[in-house]
Amino acid sequence: MTFGVCETGIEELDAQMGGGFPVGSTILIVGSSGSGKTTLCMQFLVNGAKKGEKGVFFTITEPLFKLTSNLEKFEFFDRSLVDDGTITIIDLRIIFERLGLDAEKYTVEDTNALLGVIKDIAKELNVKRLVIDSITALCYRLQSKEMIRDFIFKLGTFLAAKECTTFLTSEIPPKTFIFSQYGIEEFIADGIIFLGEVERGGDLIRTLQIVKMRGVDHSRIKYAMSITSRGIELAPLLKTR
Amino acid sequence: MVSTLVEGLKERVLTSISMYQSVCVVLPGTNYQDLIQALFNCMREKHTDQWVYITVTRPFDNFVKMFGDLSRYPNVVFIDCISRSSGIMKRDDQCIYIESPTMLERITMEIKHIFRNASEDMEKFIVLDSLTSLMIYNDPTLVIEFFYQLLNRARSEDIHMLSLVVEEGELDRHINKLIYLNDKIIKVRDTFI
Amino acid sequence: MYEWIERDEVDFISTGIDKLDSLLEGGIPKGFFTLILGVPGSGFEILIKQIASNGNTLLFSTCETEEEIMSTMKRFGWNPENLEIVDIASEYAKRTLLVHGKRSSSYQRRIDLDLKELIAECSGGKPIERGEEEDFLNMLSKRFTDSRIPEKTIVHSLDFFLDQYQQSEIIKTLHIMKMSNMKKKGAVFVSLTKGVCGELFERKMESIADCVLELEVIRKGTSFDRYLAVKKMKNYARKIGIARYIIDESGFVLETVERIL
Ligand SMILES: Nc1ncnc2c1ncn2[C@@H]1O[C@H](COP(=O)(O)OP(=O)(O)OP(=O)(O)O)[C@@H](O)[C@H]1O
Ligand SMILES: [Mg+2]
Repeated sequence: MTFGVCETGIEELDAQMGGGFPVGSTILIVGSSGSGKTTLCMQFLVNGAKKGEKGVFFTITEPLFKLTSNLEKFEFFDRSLVDDGTITIIDLRIIFERLGLDAEKYTVEDTNALLGVIKDIAKELNVKRLVIDSITALCYRLQSKEMIRDFIFKLGTFLAAKECTTFLTSEIPPKTFIFSQYGIEEFIADGIIFLGEVERGGDLIRTLQIVKMRGVDHSRIKYAMSITSRGIELAPLLKTR
Repeated sequence: MVSTLVEGLKERVLTSISMYQSVCVVLPGTNYQDLIQALFNCMREKHTDQWVYITVTRPFDNFVKMFGDLSRYPNVVFIDCISRSSGIMKRDDQCIYIESPTMLERITMEIKHIFRNASEDMEKFIVLDSLTSLMIYNDPTLVIEFFYQLLNRARSEDIHMLSLVVEEGELDRHINKLIYLNDKIIKVRDTFI
Repeated sequence: MYEWIERDEVDFISTGIDKLDSLLEGGIPKGFFTLILGVPGSGFEILIKQIASNGNTLLFSTCETEEEIMSTMKRFGWNPENLEIVDIASEYAKRTLLVHGKRSSSYQRRIDLDLKELIAECSGGKPIERGEEEDFLNMLSKRFTDSRIPEKTIVHSLDFFLDQYQQSEIIKTLHIMKMSNMKKKGAVFVSLTKGVCGELFERKMESIADCVLELEVIRKGTSFDRYLAVKKMKNYARKIGIARYIIDESGFVLETVERIL
């Protein structure tokens, strides 16, 4: 179904994936708080935007102004991409509010309305890259595993058909090696990137690992990851005993 | 005042580093200062080339003072692995601070970044100061793996690499193994020259 | 202090209606708090607008939107140059609509969404405010304590606040306005429809007010006679009086003036 690849702009990651993620795939970015999920997603969007691919970022956990002020600190970010509409950052909480979804638990109808709005926006903006940060916060409002499954599955199929590559962030407790809070998100996603850490000589080193990627022959080697003003960079992780 | 020892060291280093991809200099601590002066002279002489000086031994601040007029040599960049963890860093365009000498991959990333921005016609040099210090902070197998990676990168990207080993007498077992990975080994003794 | 000196040069603030000014022998004394009572059909909302269209005025409007006010004023040929309207009517409508909207389904709401507008709103970069909505009564007192006040401040009408708040809260706010206005030497007008909230409250209001204007309509056979009474004028008992009025295309026209004292 999908052909081309969607480059993240993070060299080693793209190289591992044979140039980038399959266009139209849904990738779960898993990590605990502060592991770099948001940064990775932003870099993915910005890299696309620089090549003219439109992108949308739905934020739930962080307010817009905080998100953009963090972004400004990165060299890869270019304010004009937001100003000219190549990247649109959307506060999902306003959508919740406009849909009258103020309850903690959504009904099936609520979920469908929300899904509908996200799809409408993706279509309206004609995006090729989409991020939901975080899917965990969204799943929290869905009442059952079936609803979560349904939501991600329907969103994924719709976006795949539109050749839009999707990153969903998944928050997990620190020092755990699970991929999602609800244990369901990971099965629907086409790929999983795990952001973790290893200890070395008392220091914690950020790591990134491609855990799964459907249809791509990738190794499961771990990368050491750094977050600096240049954004995310990788280097093969030296073996630690 | 030009010391003949420093001058001699400089000539030795310059000739071997242009002949070989990777050179290891093994020296006693008493000659460390002389070698650094010699290296700085090399950098001054080949100032149109790109130099990356990785220090795990002394803080960058120390080198600035020794170098004197570093800011006149913008192609010399330091990667300082020890100042940040001891909290003595001073902002400088010519120095990149790494959180800790255990973050070896960060060194790799920074080197990559620096050389990516270097122009085509520049020769590229890495000085690693020193394998001995790296061994203090890291597991030997880790240092060996790191050094392998660095050497491989140097070979594939035509980077000249100079590593220092500061040690008296008997060499550490692991270092002894490491130094033979280099194309050329220079041993500095008091009787040298 | 500054305002004292500046405004002390003249003692009265014009209502904007010549005959009314002369009925009041110069206008409303500075620092006065005026209550305008009117029965439905007396046209007191027109009187309010006529007063508002003159001089430097701040109008809190609870029953008409800014648009409606401006269009009425235009019809009468009034051209307010220094009028600021705080459009509580529109704001209130928006809020009730929102609350009402919550009762409709998320499905319906999604259909009703304007996508472009939604995208613009959600990407606006403004921190979303989940905090308390501004309290209208608070808004009144805040305007009075925070900043300089204009020559005339009009609240039209108290009926709205009576629907929303406890009488005691309203009276407290009006007291704040009154005290602050007294110091700042402006003229405050508040309107109240006669008979909607009980006599006791009207009495209380009349006692708070320095000046009470009351508009009455009396049926005489097949026609109506309209009267404007100056029912109270603190420290100027002489000015108590009553005048018949009609409303023509230019606004209020006062005819015969009778002095009571
Ligand atoms: N300019 C920067 N330079 C260096 N490090 C940075 C910079 N910006 C962010 N970081 C690091 O990145 C981390 C935050 O990354 P990010 O916000 O992407 O994490 P996250 O996984 O989205 O976290 P959360 O779950 O809290 O949303 C911070 O802990 C910070 O240490
Ligand atoms: Mg985040």
